[in-house]
Amino acid sequence: MFEKMIDKSMAKSPWIFHINAGSCNGCDIELVSVLTPRYDAERLGFRLTGTPRQADIVVVSGPVTLQSRDRLIRTLEQVPQPRVVVSLGSCPRSGNVFKGSYAIDGPLEKWTHVDVSVAGCTPKPEAIVAALAQATQILEQKRKEMRK
Amino acid sequence: MLPYVTKALSNLFKKPSTEAFPAGEPPKAAPHYRGRLHYDPTLCINCGMCMRVCAPQAITREIVKLENGDQQITFTYDMTSCTFCNTCSDFCSKKAITLTEDYMIVGTKPEDFLVSGTFIKKAPPPKPKLTPEQIAEMKEKAEAAKAAKAAAGGVAPAAPAGEKPKFTPEQIAEMKAAAEAKKAAAAKQEG
Repeated sequence: MFEKMIDKSMAKSPWIFHINAGSCNGCDIELVSVLTPRYDAERLGFRLTGTPRQADIVVVSGPVTLQSRDRLIRTLEQVPQPRVVVSLGSCPRSGNVFKGSYAIDGPLEKWTHVDVSVAGCTPKPEAIVAALAQATQILEQKRKEMRK
Repeated sequence: MLPYVTKALSNLFKKPSTEAFPAGEPPKAAPHYRGRLHYDPTLCINCGMCMRVCAPQAITREIVKLENGDQQITFTYDMTSCTFCNTCSDFCSKKAITLTEDYMIVGTKPEDFLVSGTFIKKAPPPKPKLTPEQIAEMKEKAEAAKAAKAAAGGVAPAAPAGEKPKFTPEQIAEMKAAAEAKKAAAAKQEG
């Protein structure tokens, strides 16, 4: 019974941790705007945390640069299972206009499994909300599988 | 005090300014929003200009040769690589590429982000095969035409085209004087 209660409350408040892996800041601004009153993702329980250890959903933006690569991997390792990785914008999946640069060591799929992606440069906040909603479903599924 | 009260009361009966999106339909994008790309393979002529101008190299082309000599051409546009800059659409002379207002490009698999289209480029029709008799006949005809031309040329020679007009020495002297006068005038103006 206690487990059920925890599961239910966990599903209703997935916490987000945002990693900037060399993004141009466009996607970061859009992610922050998702939490503003106009789009208000916090009414759905999403909340930005300051530490990866409390996060359920990790949002990664930016092509993975050489400078941020090791930090990205270290931060991702600190996120407890079950975790969902959401890639924000075109950059983490392909490198976008930075593709082929000597400073890029991507895509993000090379370093971790990406569950949900949002394409766009930058994506509209509504698209980000839709992706986060999809991520919560995946998170619930993962949690159920872990219980078994 | 009164304006605050009226504002508070009017706000009580207003719709909330927060978008109800995950509950209802997603709102429409702004006009001329550049979202998911739409490609019409029936208009495409395989010039490859979109691939050339694409900065993030999001466009790939695959050409498969069919047995009857036709080419099956597939263009694939990767939305996770796209910058949505509209340059491909601008450069497309046939307007086969347009950026739609669909911004909901969310998915879990790479296939969710691919936009592709296939068309078949017909091979040119094969050259007609001629028998030796036909070739001989054509040669005869060509020779007859040549002979007729030569005969026409012999009867009425065309006027020589590239002959220079001849001037008398006086005319030449006059022209030289005029040119020198012009030069002097130009020098005066400059000085």
